[in-house]
Amino acid sequence: MNCDDLETVASDLARGQMVDAALSEKALTHTASCARCATRLADERELTEGLRQFAAATATGEAPPRVEASLIEVFRRERTKAVASAATTPPLQTRRWLYLAIGAAAVVAIVIFLSLSARRTSEPQPQAPQKAGGTVPAQPDSTQQPAVAPASQEKKIANHHATKRSVRTTEPKRPTVVAVDRVEPTAGDVEIATDFIPLMNRESLTQLDSGQVVRVELPRSALMSFGLPMNMERANERVKADVVVGNDGLARAIRFVR
Amino acid sequence: MTSSDLDLLRLVMAGDEAAFTALYRRRQAGVYRFALHMSGSQTIAEDVTQEVFIVLMREAGRYDSNRGSLAAYLYGIARNHVLRRIEQDRLLVQLADSAEEGDALTPASMITEGGPLDDLTRNETVEAVRNSILALPPHYREVIVLCDLHEMSYTEAASAVGCAVGTVRSRLHRARALLVEKLRAARDRNRASEEANPARCFA
Repeated sequence: MNCDDLETVASDLARGQMVDAALSEKALTHTASCARCATRLADERELTEGLRQFAAATATGEAPPRVEASLIEVFRRERTKAVASAATTPPLQTRRWLYLAIGAAAVVAIVIFLSLSARRTSEPQPQAPQKAGGTVPAQPDSTQQPAVAPASQEKKIANHHATKRSVRTTEPKRPTVVAVDRVEPTAGDVEIATDFIPLMNRESLTQLDSGQVVRVELPRSALMSFGLPMNMERANERVKADVVVGNDGLARAIRFVR
Repeated sequence: MTSSDLDLLRLVMAGDEAAFTALYRRRQAGVYRFALHMSGSQTIAEDVTQEVFIVLMREAGRYDSNRGSLAAYLYGIARNHVLRRIEQDRLLVQLADSAEEGDALTPASMITEGGPLDDLTRNETVEAVRNSILALPPHYREVIVLCDLHEMSYTEAASAVGCAVGTVRSRLHRARALLVEKLRAARDRNRASEEANPARCFA
């Protein structure tokens, strides 16, 4: 053992905390031959003795009785407060049910709010028809309402426009919205319709989440605008058409109905 | 059969006054002495003891027996309060005169009984040790108080202080080295004083 080794164990040696007897023996042997380490160990022992005396001198020290009395008073007050609080507060089981009921009510309210919001966004927008792909729907008559297809049907229609017909950008004459009736034909009134003809590019059609189908009447010349044959003898008559209008008010596709 | 600290604590949490009294009487002396050794002030020691047990009665549920003994937990609370008080007092302007302060910092319990010459020597040593401990920085002081004066193991001291066992060991080593220096300096001063005034020896 050298002086550095002794420095690390001097405290434990002086305090009687050395567990390793062999190490303790080596340390004592070293102090016998090293005056400096002997002094160091003596200092540590003197300190240990001084601390022991100090601890013994204060060993009987304890808090005066008034501290205990004061604490017991506080304890009683706290207990009274806790009892009063327990009397006014419902039991834990009841509170749990109360919290669950409040939580459930909140969830129901949120669901109702979200469904109403979703319905509001899917309802037709009371706005003026806009130009779309060369087709300009007419201003709706005050006595007439645009036809609205169910949302599922609208989506089906939107996905149905697998036609490769080209879209004309020429603006046809002003059509007028006349029909409110749904697309489903009745037994005695069978309608024949063309495929939906896109009025915009295909990407904008595939991005259509929801929309509405509006039944309109157009001049028969509109058939020619979409490359369809037209009976010139009936040129003065109008032709029915279903226009798919997106939520943004833009017409996306059209089909002609007979 | 005596109840364990944990049993008493459970009863305290249930509002048992007798259990609280029993727990207080079992643990108050250690907490009080720790605060006294750390602060050197009876007033602070009393206040801290009271605060520690108020915390215990209000937040008994915070004690986790897996993290150490209840005694170590109480010492830990006491330590925090003492350090706060020491810091507050350090910032306050000392208005009390030195005589009053001397009385406050020297509790009667620190004065031992015995023969006059024996007491004189012992009291000088005790006083020197007490002053040297109080002159240590708090983080060294607390390990000396816990490990040397309260004979706590390194593990318990580490639990009370909230640090690693190795940190306690190294702080204790350093603290004892500082104490040795301070006590040596105090002894040298005493010797010089005696040589300068030999009449004191015969008084």
